[in-house]
Amino acid sequence: MKKSISIALCLILLVGALFGQTKLTLWTQEGTAENAFQFVQELAKAYSAANPKVSIEVLNKETEALREDFQTAALAGDAPELLWTVSDHAGPFVAAELIQSVDKLVNLKLYADATAVMLEGKTWGVPISSGNHLMLLYNKDLVKAPPKDTDELVKMAADLNAKGIIPLTFNQTEPFWLVPWLGGYKGRVFASDGVTPTLDTQAMVKTLTLLQDLKFKHKVFPAEANYDTADAIFKEGKAAMIINGDWSLGDYKKVMGDKLGVARIPMIKGGTWPAPYTAGKFFMINADIDKAKLAAVVDFIKFATNKENQLLMFTRLTRLPALKTAAADKTVTSDPITKASAEQMTVGVGMPSVLEMRAVWDAMKPEMLKVLASASASPVDAAKAMQSAAVAGIKALQ
Amino acid sequence: MSSLTPDFMLRSLGNVGSTILTLLVAVAVLEVALWLVFSKLLHSRHALVIMLLTPAAIGLAALIVYPLLFEIRLAFSNMSIRRFKNPTYGLAQGWDNLKLIFTEPVLKQVKFFPILGRTFLWTFIQVSFHVTLGLGLALLMNRKIRFRGLFRTLLVFPWAVPQIVAILAWRGEFNFQYGYVNILLRGLGVANPPQWLTEPFWNYVAVNIVNIWLGVPFMMVTLLGGLQSIDSTYYEAAEIDGASPSQRFRAVTLPLLKPVMTPVIILGVIWTFNNFNVPYLINQNELETSDILVTALFRAAFEYNRYGFAAALALVIFAILLGLTILYMRVTDFKPVMKAGLSQAAGERRRVAAKAAGGQR
Repeated sequence: MKKSISIALCLILLVGALFGQTKLTLWTQEGTAENAFQFVQELAKAYSAANPKVSIEVLNKETEALREDFQTAALAGDAPELLWTVSDHAGPFVAAELIQSVDKLVNLKLYADATAVMLEGKTWGVPISSGNHLMLLYNKDLVKAPPKDTDELVKMAADLNAKGIIPLTFNQTEPFWLVPWLGGYKGRVFASDGVTPTLDTQAMVKTLTLLQDLKFKHKVFPAEANYDTADAIFKEGKAAMIINGDWSLGDYKKVMGDKLGVARIPMIKGGTWPAPYTAGKFFMINADIDKAKLAAVVDFIKFATNKENQLLMFTRLTRLPALKTAAADKTVTSDPITKASAEQMTVGVGMPSVLEMRAVWDAMKPEMLKVLASASASPVDAAKAMQSAAVAGIKALQ
Repeated sequence: MSSLTPDFMLRSLGNVGSTILTLLVAVAVLEVALWLVFSKLLHSRHALVIMLLTPAAIGLAALIVYPLLFEIRLAFSNMSIRRFKNPTYGLAQGWDNLKLIFTEPVLKQVKFFPILGRTFLWTFIQVSFHVTLGLGLALLMNRKIRFRGLFRTLLVFPWAVPQIVAILAWRGEFNFQYGYVNILLRGLGVANPPQWLTEPFWNYVAVNIVNIWLGVPFMMVTLLGGLQSIDSTYYEAAEIDGASPSQRFRAVTLPLLKPVMTPVIILGVIWTFNNFNVPYLINQNELETSDILVTALFRAAFEYNRYGFAAALALVIFAILLGLTILYMRVTDFKPVMKAGLSQAAGERRRVAAKAAGGQR
């Protein structure tokens, strides 16, 4: 009898403990290579340690996989409560009504600009870090001072090529790396309405011509380089300069130490400063979660973005904190690399989050590849093809 | 892979273990319930048969029948990212999807028929190479040559490597600067080797090379099995009749291999037509010129979120494959039932034996 009572009591306690527990799932596109995933895991663990009734499971997904899987999981009613992801995911998630507005959940005035995730008059994400922008990184052993403009870059390339060093590398397969140059010619991918593509323009033709000339005429870029190749040859000292994002700073600092230099992407001779897209990372909240979970999610967001953790993120990952008080802290403002990164940001432009951006990326990619694959590919034809593909893609998205 | 810690692995095993345990418990409960109902209550003679078949039937229904019905329903909807939660279903939506497939670009610029043409070309190239090279190698391996075991092992190697691993390794080897393929070409004196991953033509060639490499071993092993089942007396009879090696190949080997070769070619056509991994993973830069129907379908569904459209496209692909299979079976007079296949094989053998005996007389 006693034994039965003991078992029953244990069961009641167990069930009680299980029911009292709030389980959250967080998906992030932060990878392990830059130690960013480990950082997110640490935050989750620290929060659970301080709040034993909340457990957070952190899962890593590659950026595109996160978007696809979140949509699929939402369809099955099994989506995670919280996302730590890039701003452009807001477009499809808002269109599909999968995330909720955060305007009334947190005090957004405490954070940096969140226009990257503002759609339909509402804010759909809480900023984690600012930037996510491209910049010029250089190896001080190979380049004394970074080139200020494209003419200087060409001159430098001749010297470096003579020494068998690749002058400048970047991911030649993604149009995210094309956009800064387009901005340098004052080109934009959308008209002022924010959804009509404007790719068949003089600015785009000039951009493609410039990249083609830099590659084939002046041998500034290697013949072929995707993200991993570009990253590897820069780390190995085979390339003197790389155009990469702020997300890679922490890793390069670790590998190269004082040899790492940061500067703006060289100004275009006859144009202006290249204007990379700026956005950042954001927390996005599942639209279909109950009140108890929502309270826990909001509390975790506040914890993860408090000053202490934002500065920790800066120290670990060299990301610009989104919390204004953290961004203004001496630790951040006195760092030369961050200063240079912020300098690049000042000429950047906000990345559109609208759904139509998907069609624009897909339209630009094959044409950019064509122009960078052959000196005889016509930039005029490429710009035309980009436009028609973007229009078709946007139509398909309707 | 710093996340692959013992803790992480234990948790993963725990997740898999708990799923398997749940399934085992569910099956046990189901079996007990079936036993009680059919054996104890109804005293059915078929209780054991029902108990053995039911879990598999439920599994098939959950994993094949339900997704298929869901996909058919989806094909008759306008589900897309803008109509994600509340799509409209109906014949009109199905008709609209069908019209879109044949009149508008499937993805960006290329319409359905050019992609279909490319898919046929891809299937033709692949199956031709697989059968020709597979048969050639099988004939070689069927001979008594030195180190035959070693050669067989080496030739089966591409089949033994997990496909994804092999494809990703190949993709690395196609890197312009550091890939082995171009290092080899440069070594052979090619000053400007192709940009395999970015130039449309060469990317299509790269996709084909990888799949030929991956597909030949299966064909070789299957045809080798077929060759080994041919009785040597047929060859002896043909030799006595003075048949040349090529005559023996045409009059003995090919007819007797037909019962093995026909289903393998049908499978080859279906698998190649629907091959997703190779064209998708080698075409890392999403060149529309390397897309075949299934990769275009995947992109339409998961990159463009055109779920209704993609489901309708999947039905069109299914119809094409069904038509092809029926046509091929008619042309080759192949009967898919195992019994018919065996009797066909026996028939072929009888015909060849009669021919050989006639020659002897």
